[in-house]
Amino acid sequence: MKRLIALMLLALAAAPLSAQEVTATAQDQQVSPPAPAAPREAKLPQPVEKTLANGLRVIVVPKHDIPLVAATLMFKTGAEADPANRPGLAQLTANVLTKGTKTRTAEEIARGVEALGATIEASAGWDQSSIDLSVMASNFTKALVFVGDVARNATFSKEEVDLQRSQTVDSLQVALRQPRTLGSYVMSKLLFAGQPYGHPAEGTPKSLEKIKREDLVAFHKANYRPDNAVFVVAGDIEPDAVFNAAQQQFGSWARGTATKTTMTAATTAKPASPRVVVVDLPDAGQAMVVVGRQGIRRTDPNYFPAIVSNSVLGGGYSARLNQEIRIKRGLSYGSNSSFSARRNAGPFLASTQTKNESAAEVAGITLDEMARMGATDVPDTELTPRKAVLIGGFARSLETSSGIVNQVATLALNDLPLTDINRYISGVQAVNAEAVRGFAGKNFAGSDASVVIVGDAKKFIEPLRKRFPDVEVIPVSQLDLDASGIRERKAKQ
Amino acid sequence: MRQIRLILILLVVATTAAAAAFPPINYKHRVLPNGLEVFSAQDRSTPTVAIHVWYRVGSKNDPEGRSGFAHLFEHIMFKATRHMKAEMMDRLTEDVGGWNNASTYDDMTPYFEVVPSNYLETLLWAEADRMGGLTVDEANFKSERDVVKEEYRFRVLAPPYGRFFNAIEPSSLVKHPYRRPGIGSMEDLDAATLDDVRAFHATFYRPDNAALIVVGDFDQQQFDAWVDKYFAPIPKPSTPIPVVDVQEPARTAEKRVPVYAPNVPLPAVALTYLAPAASSPDSYPLAIAEAVLSQGESSRLYERLVRSGIAQEAFANADLRADLGLFAAAAIMASGHDVGEAEKIIREELQKIQDAPISAAELEKAKNQIITSALRERETSNGKAFAIGEALVVHKDASIVNTGLARLQAVTAADVQNVMKKTIGGGKAVVITYMDESKRDAKKSEGGAK
Repeated sequence: MKRLIALMLLALAAAPLSAQEVTATAQDQQVSPPAPAAPREAKLPQPVEKTLANGLRVIVVPKHDIPLVAATLMFKTGAEADPANRPGLAQLTANVLTKGTKTRTAEEIARGVEALGATIEASAGWDQSSIDLSVMASNFTKALVFVGDVARNATFSKEEVDLQRSQTVDSLQVALRQPRTLGSYVMSKLLFAGQPYGHPAEGTPKSLEKIKREDLVAFHKANYRPDNAVFVVAGDIEPDAVFNAAQQQFGSWARGTATKTTMTAATTAKPASPRVVVVDLPDAGQAMVVVGRQGIRRTDPNYFPAIVSNSVLGGGYSARLNQEIRIKRGLSYGSNSSFSARRNAGPFLASTQTKNESAAEVAGITLDEMARMGATDVPDTELTPRKAVLIGGFARSLETSSGIVNQVATLALNDLPLTDINRYISGVQAVNAEAVRGFAGKNFAGSDASVVIVGDAKKFIEPLRKRFPDVEVIPVSQLDLDASGIRERKAKQ
Repeated sequence: MRQIRLILILLVVATTAAAAAFPPINYKHRVLPNGLEVFSAQDRSTPTVAIHVWYRVGSKNDPEGRSGFAHLFEHIMFKATRHMKAEMMDRLTEDVGGWNNASTYDDMTPYFEVVPSNYLETLLWAEADRMGGLTVDEANFKSERDVVKEEYRFRVLAPPYGRFFNAIEPSSLVKHPYRRPGIGSMEDLDAATLDDVRAFHATFYRPDNAALIVVGDFDQQQFDAWVDKYFAPIPKPSTPIPVVDVQEPARTAEKRVPVYAPNVPLPAVALTYLAPAASSPDSYPLAIAEAVLSQGESSRLYERLVRSGIAQEAFANADLRADLGLFAAAAIMASGHDVGEAEKIIREELQKIQDAPISAAELEKAKNQIITSALRERETSNGKAFAIGEALVVHKDASIVNTGLARLQAVTAADVQNVMKKTIGGGKAVVITYMDESKRDAKKSEGGAK
């Protein structure tokens, strides 16, 4: 490499510049970019599947370019099944799952897995609990032994439960000081109070104290069972090799007999009337602004109109919310919206972090943009690129083994045919401006969205009151995520 | 290309089965007369292509009194150029199902797009146009500067540990410009002007200070012709490219830096040591030491700090950059535990790894972990392009992307011990503690970070 004469440029402003200033080329002389060539078709993965005698569904997607394998053993029960007085049970169960079996200590599991260069992560989210594996292809069967062992033989010792509980309580302490996480907890509570998706999936410091070892054992027995599970594998491996390995690790696993935990209530209940809530977090470095309402289930017939509408409104860099809030006004590093399409209707959330002083303005812009979606047709010059965003993102998600596993597992979780992977692109393409306006008119434009702002209230409460005279202000010290409402019944001070 | 294959054959013979399966990135390299380096690697498995332009300019080149400028400038690169209006790069990528981004590091600023491969020529045209110059106006500049100030709040002020991580470099270094956080400060961002933008482009954004890296679905001959058409005409300026050659002095004593911030639920502590540059042969043993200390739940720091319930999180990081490195070990405490407990254990573990060689099992595990991570990165064309760029700019040798693995495999337990003796044993710690504002009065401030 050529070495240049070392010269530390301390004061760039004072340095002489030989380069001439570049000026914008007059509009009529601007050159257009070269046109694209003809597109090439993307190949979609072809899942192969087999169901073991005990009901375990095994799905394989071979992909041979890199010697890696990604897999998930997914159980179709998660935090939505937490008993009303035990929020956090599904996640705590998953967190302790890898911390000891009948024949291995937590340390032995970690050392054994990591010696292979593999990672095994157990987690619980909404609708599912999963054990995810990532490993080089040559070590797949060796690593699968550990997946089988923790899934079937986890012992949930009291010491491990206590350690995980205190770690979860500590991480909640951090989450409860962060505008972003606080905002989503409070919004979930507003949208789904008393329903399965209404509590923090992590639990709360108070609810975690109530959970006993026996609760974990019972949750595990009821839900971690082959007839409630799907095993999805993608990567550099042949289907027969996976079927054989699955038979070996899971074949002798008996079907469950305990009653599966089901949702404690359906999320079909209409949300309580919309509210505007401020959580006052003094000295917050930024305000979190969330606008939310109940959204859709994954199997909703309006799934494609919903995701296309969202792509126009807030799904990506050039979507309307980011155009208005970031690009035009410089009010945020990013604004976005999304549907969490779950087995039951999950939330629709539009979220933005902004300096405290502009929180009211951002909330207003978000609601105005939602209303505009239902008021006028999206022109095709806007709709076509926003659909391309979805199609491109989908295609890219299939470029990695873990991305393929996610796509396939989501279909399986929602009992959708795996061939739907071939229908995503046409499903998006079929949505026209009329369908978007129809969907958005019902789902964005109405006045049933709630607003939550977590931040330093004194810096934005006055302008906020102008638009929302009924705004409720809750000091963070009085926030109570365990109460049926969100505020402590009695203030402590 | 032939040379790369040869190296691989040696590697297969010399190393384990895992390494043998590691597919090389068969790239082609050439240099245009104007100095632009061009790397291209075909992968036609999906009809997409990743286009990267890496400029050898980063936060270390922030002008004096303008910390954060290289990053602010990176944002401005998405505004107007000779033939493109503001945000046109998004029209050419996002609108056709692709995406784009850029990030500013201390040593470099990579810009990248991933698009359907039939748009390759379009994007080469666009990247060449912005290499040629910017035409951003005052309104766009100010609005984007506000966005960057929001990014500062988002990264530093809003997260409970944002100020902690932001304090590590300023506390750890005294002279080298790496000491200035890349995100900058509000005052310096406010001081930046449109003239600074023009000067920065003219000084650093030039073909002889950049590398074009393209990985994915393309025809080699056609690609080479497009590069000649769009990039070759960009003139090479006659001015020299400024080089940072500041030497960070060796530390002569330990230093303690207490940092306080609002809304800190659990205290934290970090110990840092000066470490060699990424191009040093010591980088491989240091990567192994980092993994042994903190990768996964069987790592030494995890077992001693997190499994024991003393800390909520623990990590070690060999952050090696082009000019020099920092080795850091840190912990965020569990409730009821004091930073002193973690500091003591971290010091014990850093001593232990100097006193005795790591076990054969630990060595093998660390290698497997690092190889598996590298495989994950190389699943996509975009990841492969990043791997080439990092080898080129940080390690100062693109071929490391294919030979680095053999070097890693060659590391012995004794190498790890010796390098840790040199880095930790021969160094002096800077200890950064992080606590809630309310604790400030409890203990008289020792000066510390501003």
